[in-house]
Parts: sequence; structure tokens; C-alpha cells
Amino acid sequence: MASTAGTTDAGMWANRWARLVSRKRVANIVTIVALLIGAAFVLLPLFWIVDTAFKPVGDAFVIPPKFIYTPTLGNFNSLLGGQYNQYIDDMGHSAIIMGISVAFALLLGVPAGYGLARSRFRGSGAITGWLIVAYIVPALVYIVPLYAIYTRLDISGTYLSMILYYETFEMPFVVFMMRSYFSDVPRELEDAARVDGCSRWQAFRKVMLPLVIPGLSTVTILACILSWGEFFGALIFTGSSTITAPVAIEQYIGLDSSNWSDLAAAALLLVVPVLVLAGFVQRGYMRTFKSASTG
Amino acid sequence: MAGQTDIQAVGGARAFRLPLPAPAGPASAPSTWARLRKWADKRFYTLVTIPALVVITAIVAVPLLIGVYLSFTNYTPVLPSFAWAGLVNYDNILDNSQIHVAINNTVIYAGAGIVIQLILGLGVALLLARPIRRMAIFRVIYMLPLMVPGVAGAVTWSVLFSTGSGWVNYFFSLVGLHQPNWTGDPRTAMPTILIASAWTGIPIVSIITLAGLLSLPKDPVEAAMIDGASSPRILWHVTLPGLRPVLAFAAIFQLVNLFREFALFQIVTGGGPGFATTVLNYYVYQTTFVFGELGLGAALAVVLVVLMAIPLVVIYKLSGIGHRNG
Repeated sequence: MASTAGTTDAGMWANRWARLVSRKRVANIVTIVALLIGAAFVLLPLFWIVDTAFKPVGDAFVIPPKFIYTPTLGNFNSLLGGQYNQYIDDMGHSAIIMGISVAFALLLGVPAGYGLARSRFRGSGAITGWLIVAYIVPALVYIVPLYAIYTRLDISGTYLSMILYYETFEMPFVVFMMRSYFSDVPRELEDAARVDGCSRWQAFRKVMLPLVIPGLSTVTILACILSWGEFFGALIFTGSSTITAPVAIEQYIGLDSSNWSDLAAAALLLVVPVLVLAGFVQRGYMRTFKSASTG
Repeated sequence: MAGQTDIQAVGGARAFRLPLPAPAGPASAPSTWARLRKWADKRFYTLVTIPALVVITAIVAVPLLIGVYLSFTNYTPVLPSFAWAGLVNYDNILDNSQIHVAINNTVIYAGAGIVIQLILGLGVALLLARPIRRMAIFRVIYMLPLMVPGVAGAVTWSVLFSTGSGWVNYFFSLVGLHQPNWTGDPRTAMPTILIASAWTGIPIVSIITLAGLLSLPKDPVEAAMIDGASSPRILWHVTLPGLRPVLAFAAIFQLVNLFREFALFQIVTGGGPGFATTVLNYYVYQTTFVFGELGLGAALAVVLVVLMAIPLVVIYKLSGIGHRNG
């Protein structure tokens, strides 16, 4: 009968339609649209940097923005060969400070993280708490006295003063993170090494250290990222021979509001190394927060 | 991994502890050397912790105490001598109306900032946690602002919000909205800062929350679904309570970041127009390093710590993070 056929037909279509617009599907589409909008916000500044860095100088200020142009390396040439050629040196200062300060933070921080992970001595909990406080207190609170001390000792503006300041955040970070990575390694492995005749130092160096290499590399990269991007303390403590790249951007490149092309090129040179490094440590970020949130 | 299994297998036999390897020290004083090594081995965990602690104490704790001391003096770096000033600096803080404005701005900025970033960050995390194909791409994108050096972000937002050729106003003109003078108008200056701050803040909160969401046990949610609870009810009654410690941690972590933010104020608004975006952190910077009043700056830094400790302690107590690990 026609009417029955009609209802089954309608039923079939309704069924298909229901499947098409099933709640899960709608929810997924809404999710993706919302995430795309958010992603546009997140990517906007990065897009501006890349776009303007490779855009001909003349187009940098054009409104509406021109997105079709022949990409050029001219901005990098003018940045590194022109009035801001000091920038490449300043990136070098950043790299030197980063290398030495991170190496020093690892040298002392990794064993300390291990010690805190394994120690049963009284006050190790208090020490961890103190590390967290050292990390939370705004840099300003010890920058003011550090500045006074540095002027007294006449070392402000030197690499030494910069590196010492960088340790105020790098070393607690390394200790805290490594404590968490070492805690994940079962104690039995060390006990076994000790049974085999290793001293505690040998157990640390030959058994524990190789096991935490992945965590150690993550911590190293994260500490490098922290160091590379540091701005506040660097602004206060740099002398003319130790200006870091972030300070350079703020002090002379960013000041010239008529030159966005050089600014974008400089910003890109600052961001790219970090993004390259960060590619290796996406999980590291999750880990940072996880280990911090579980104390 | 065969080696590891071997070691683990032996691990059970703790009773059969072999003697330490023979000391390699000079033969003339073997017993002293051996005793020293034995002592060092016994105290190993303490000994490896000490160097880092000494350095951190020297560069953080000692300056902190000196800072508290300086806050009671009239120290300025240009003069060779300085004197005890008692509570003069703190008195000045109580009397100085600029400082009151700065404290007021700090409360508005940190309060609005943390609320916006927690709510939107939680929202983004809930979306990122959904099992959709290729979600990893979004997770990477949302992590990008965490990695970008603060200065690069700040200069870029400053350019994007500029009046002449800024893209934000261009987008506003496309949809026919009024184009404000973002950083030049006292009414829009703080919102400008809050938007630029949300660019890193929302991703930070969402990454923290996502890590928490993914490690939540699945059983309670499944049980609630079998009982026929709707998704909003599951979210409200099962997921959010489970996330409470993680959200509290995110709130604390991000409040700290908000309080210590400097690059945005220095680069985007310079604390202006007038005092519209001068927060305490930035005001201390100016007092100390632009006007050279270190004593007053140190006193303000103490006030800043107290001010930021209040919400942190409240959140910490309310969340019960401290009790979680026993």
C-alpha cells in the first residue's frame, strides 16, 4: 500500500537524517568550529610575524593588508646588514648566557633533583616547598636587592651578573623537574646496582642518569626556552656588551615605529629557534604542569 | 632492555650486599680515604642536594632578606651611603595616591585576567579532550603561545593593536565596528592588555587542564552515562569535581604569571595612558629602575608579595591540594 510505503520511506529518510545530524556529529562539528576560531586568535600574531618578515618593506603598513606578494629576504638583509646589525651580536649574547647558565643549572640541579627524589632526610619536604616559593615569588622581589648588590660589587652588566640572575629561575626549575623524573624510576633498579657492588654515585651515574635521558633532554630544552625568552631581568641587568636579543627588540628595533619589517624579521629570528626546539618537547609542557600540580 | 630485567631480577636479593669496590685512593692513607668514601656514600643524597641549595639560597633567599632590609632604608644606587629610614617607605605607600591606583589596577587586571583565562581555558581543554581525529594538530597549535618569547608576543600585539595600520582595527572595520584607539584610550588600554595576556594565559590553563582531564579515571563518567545522565550534568557533577585540584593549580600558576607580567606593560602600553595600566609590578619597576628609589621599590615589592599571597593562599586552602598526597 502506498501509505505504508510512504511511512517506511519517510522513516528511512528520518533515520538517515538522524544519523547525519546525530548528536555526536553535531557536537564534533561545533567543537571543530570553536577550535578553529580559537586557533585563528592563537595564530594571528605568529602569522603577522611571518607575513611581515617576508613582505616587501613598502607593503608592511598597507591597509587592507596585502597577502599576495613576492616573498623577499630583504628584511633580513636590512636587519642584519643595516642600522640594526648589532642584533646578530645580541643574539650571540643570548646564546652565550643561555649555554652557560643552563649548563650550570644542570650541573648542580640534576644531582640535587636526584637527591631530593630519593632522600629520606628530614626537611626534604621543606626544601621542595622552598623551591616552589623561590619559583613563585615575583622576580622583582629579588631583582631589586640583586641590583643593589651588583652595583656594590660593580659587576652589573657583566655576563657573571646576568648568568647569576638567570640561575634564580633556571636552577629551581631544573631541580624541581628532575626530582619528578627521578621519582618515576623504580628504586629497585638502584638497589640492584648497589647489590652488584656500585656505590651510590656509580648507581646514579651508570644506572639512573641513562634512564632519565629523555626527561633530562626535555628539561634542558625547556630551560633553554626560559633562558632565551627572558626579558625583565635582562632589561635591568644588561650592559652594552651583554644586551640580549629580547632586550634588543624592545630597546632599539621596536622603538622605531616606522619600521615594522625589521621588527618582524627580528621577532622571527627570536621565535624560530624556540619553535624548532619546542617541537621536541610538546609532551614536556604537559609534564611540567603535571609534575608541578602533583607536587 | 635485557640488562634491566637482569638487574631487576637481582634486586630482590637485598640481603646479599657485596662490599664496595676497593678504594682507589693513595696507598699511604687507605683507611681515611675509605672512611671518607663510605661517609660520602652514606650521605650521598644529602651531599648532591647541597650545592644547588647553596646557590639558590645565595641568589634568591639572601637577596630576599636584603630586600626586606632595604625596604626600611632610603637606599639609592647613586648615593654612596644610606641610612635606616624606619617605616618611612611604608608610610609613603599608604599616603601615595599613585600607588593606590596601581594596587587598584593590579586587582582589576589580575581578577579579570584570571576569570577570563580560567573559564575560556577550561572550555578549550574540554574541546581539546574530545576524541576527534587529528585533534593533535589543535593541541599543538594551542601550545604555540607558551613557547613564544614574551617580547615577541608583546611587540606583535602592540603592532596589531596600533591605530593606523593595525590589523585588529582593520578587522573591526570589515564588520563595521567602531575602531578604538586601543592603547591610547584609558577605557580600552586595560582590555588590550587583557586580550594580549589571554593569548598566552588561555593556552596555559587549557594545557594544564587537558593534562588533568586526560588522566581522570574513565569509570565514573561511564557509570554516569549508563545511569542516563546528560552530558552537562556529567560535566558539572563528575568531571569538574574531579578537576578541582588541577583547576586550582592552574589558577595559582596563572595568577603568578599575571602578577609577574612585565613585557606587555612595558611594550604595549608603557603603563599608560596616564596611570590606566600601571599595575604594581610595573610601578615597582619604574620606581626602582627609572626613578632610582631602591628603598621605596623594595618596600613596594614586599607589598606586592603580600598582595599576591592572599589569593594564592585562599585558592590553596579551598582546593585542598595540600591534602591530596596524604
